[in-house]
Amino acid sequence: MPKPIKIQYFLFLLLTSVLAACAVQTQSYRVPAQHPEDSGIGKRPPICVDCHEASDDQFNWQQFNHTTYFADNHRQVALRNEQACAMCHQTSFCNDCHATGLELKPSLKNQTETYRRTPHRGDYLSRHRIDGRVDPSSCFRCHRNPKASGSCVRCHG
Amino acid sequence: MARILTRTSPSLSVFACCLFLLFSPSMLFAAELQIQSDTLLRVFERDTTGTGDELVAPIYQYLKLNADNFSVEGLSFHAYGWGRQELLDSDFFREQSSGELIYAYLEYTAPDAPFSARLGRQYIFSGVANDSIDGLWLKGTLSEYFSASVYAGQPVGLSTTAGRSGDSIYGGRLAHKNKNFYEIGLSYQTSQNDGDTAANLLGIDLSAGLPMNASLYGYSTRNLETEGWAEHSYEVNFQLDRFSFRPFYEYYSYLDYFDSGANATNPFKLLALSGEDLSTFGVDASWRQSESFTFGGKFKAYSYDQNQASNLISLIVSWNSESVELTQAGAEIGYMSGDAANNDYLLLRLYGFYDELGDRYWLDFISGDVVYALYDRDILGRSYSVFTSLGAGKTFFNDQLTLRLSGDYSQDPYFDDNLQVLLSASFAYDFSL
Ligand code: HEC
Ligand code: HEC
Ligand code: HEC
Ligand code: HEC
Ligand code: HEC
Repeated sequence: MPKPIKIQYFLFLLLTSVLAACAVQTQSYRVPAQHPEDSGIGKRPPICVDCHEASDDQFNWQQFNHTTYFADNHRQVALRNEQACAMCHQTSFCNDCHATGLELKPSLKNQTETYRRTPHRGDYLSRHRIDGRVDPSSCFRCHRNPKASGSCVRCHG
Repeated sequence: MARILTRTSPSLSVFACCLFLLFSPSMLFAAELQIQSDTLLRVFERDTTGTGDELVAPIYQYLKLNADNFSVEGLSFHAYGWGRQELLDSDFFREQSSGELIYAYLEYTAPDAPFSARLGRQYIFSGVANDSIDGLWLKGTLSEYFSASVYAGQPVGLSTTAGRSGDSIYGGRLAHKNKNFYEIGLSYQTSQNDGDTAANLLGIDLSAGLPMNASLYGYSTRNLETEGWAEHSYEVNFQLDRFSFRPFYEYYSYLDYFDSGANATNPFKLLALSGEDLSTFGVDASWRQSESFTFGGKFKAYSYDQNQASNLISLIVSWNSESVELTQAGAEIGYMSGDAANNDYLLLRLYGFYDELGDRYWLDFISGDVVYALYDRDILGRSYSVFTSLGAGKTFFNDQLTLRLSGDYSQDPYFDDNLQVLLSASFAYDFSL
């Protein structure tokens, strides 16, 4: 293994020990590991502000409202607040759409769950030629590594 | 799961076994175990040999396991993966791997300190990271104003090219937060494939509270290899009575965004070379008109340095039953209109789900879906795609077992007549040791 990598690991370990040492001493707001089970949250995508304030001085609930297009536009909240998502979702939920090494697209894996807004419903092979040309940026978020673009190779070489 | 493990890379199986061995004594004291199994049988026809259609019948097994309440407080184990077996000897899946361990990690959350750690295969969502790794992830709050997370290991996504030696990924995110006024995050990631740089990214994310409960969110990434800004995405989120709005602006420089060094795959490699710039702006909105009706609308305009501009409009209406949670019906219409005719298409979707039929019928729920797309320019000689699906299901043993059957039929540029049947059994089991 080339030398630089080892140095990086060392720096990494150093940083984390510092992190761990500091963490033990402080108190600040942290979301619970699980959203209370008896909260009556139900099975539909929740609008948080139905039960919570829009925000208080520690936490902004409104940003997590699962509005109509939430399945398309959650990325900004998710990349900052993964712990908040984890209160209600196990990673496997996210992995229906986001994973390295899937074969079934989400609408096929959960075909009877027609109330979900999942990407690639119906015939996507045809539509993707247009979506991909108009805006390939979102495709790259999920298909960027060689393993997640394994099924594209047969046509894209 | 063992089968899935042996199909993935050997180094991983060794790694996972070590994990188990290391922690097996505490495993024995596991107080609670949750298992979820999903088995799917798919049957469809494909012409795999050029000599006519033959039946393809793969069976998929997904398995998820959560174990907690070990003797060590705050420790838990989570695993999820799938495997596939073709039942009819068709060679449809010849070139694809037949399973994947999606995650298998031990997690430790300190009971009275804001610190947690994960070890094993896991999926990381944090700043610039949206990746699966075999490694370690540490998260902690440093003070009232700072929090940090760091990870290091091997990237799973690069395991299929040039083996795993010389592969590494590490990075982290440092966030500064002042109550609810603002949060600024700085994230970094670098990954190596066979010793060559695959990614070297810096991300800056921002969230700020504005008057009237509105918020501003921003995210920019810089590609440190190409030394250019790859992406800028900014949006404002606000609510007026029962309406919520999200105006946004995004910018991408293809050269910096799609460049993934030693890893580049097509079509993204070609896109990076095109040197295109894309800017989009628009708004999406949602209106909860009543307990039952919700309306959504979205407009997005795309403009480029080289290509011809396009606009997207989408409208959605959905109706929910007030008494039965999942009973829902909805319609969606989308129209992509480009200055270039080959970007024009119309998309229509109608769907329905009817739950809690159990009192009156043998079945518990039924579902339906129709997706229709009409293209302005024919694709492979056809101007439309139509997809229809009908499904039904029943639960048994206090919802522990759910059986679902669905059939779909489609006609599209790729397949003239495509019929597919899907049968699935989901089983959830919780027990204490
Ligand atoms: C049906 C009502 C309901 C909905 C909808 C709901 N919650 Fe809650 N939530 C509760 C209840 C009840 C509690 C426990 C009481 C409390 O702490 O406010 C709670 C607690 C919480 C807590 C812990 C609060 C604390 O004091 O530490 C967080 C964080 C939270 N919810 C986030 C969310 C988010 C994010 C959403 C939307 C995705 C959401 N909730 C939607 C009812 C709800
Ligand atoms: C308070 C609990 C709660 C929190 C917090 C929460 N969700 Fe959800 N989410 C739900 C429920 C309930 C559903 C609907 C059930 C389902 O689809 O299985 C849902 C559905 C979704 C869906 C599917 C939406 C659709 O239209 O089909 C996505 C995507 C999602 N959540 C992502 C996230 C992300 C990302 C976060 C964190 C930023 C998050 N959720 C936080 C409870 C929550
Ligand atoms: C129904 C499918 C679906 C589910 C389920 C889902 N997502 Fe997403 N996610 C998407 C789509 C589509 C995008 C791309 C959106 C875009 O391009 O703006 C995305 C983007 C993201 C991004 C940004 C990635 C990047 O590279 O910028 C993050 C982070 C993310 N999702 C986190 C989550 C988390 C956490 C969960 C689970 C709580 C989740 N998602 C569940 C569909 C989904
Ligand atoms: C939220 C993650 C996500 C996003 C964003 C995403 N995809 Fe996918 N896509 C998947 C998953 C998961 C699959 C199924 C597994 C696979 O084939 O890799 C898939 C499958 C596909 C397929 C094969 C479909 C089929 O029916 O065989 C195509 C083509 C495709 N995606 C193209 C695109 C294009 C083009 C974009 C951008 C416009 C895009 N994807 C954006 C997750 C995503
Ligand atoms: C059945 C063959 C096929 C498969 C499989 C396939 N594509 Fe494509 N893709 C095409 C064709 C054909 C085009 C249109 C090329 C053109 O118009 O020049 C295209 C165009 C694209 C574009 C637009 C690029 C451009 O420069 O116009 C993207 C992005 C894309 N595909 C992504 C993917 C991804 C990601 C996958 C795998 C998840 C995938 N494709 C799988 C055939 C395929």
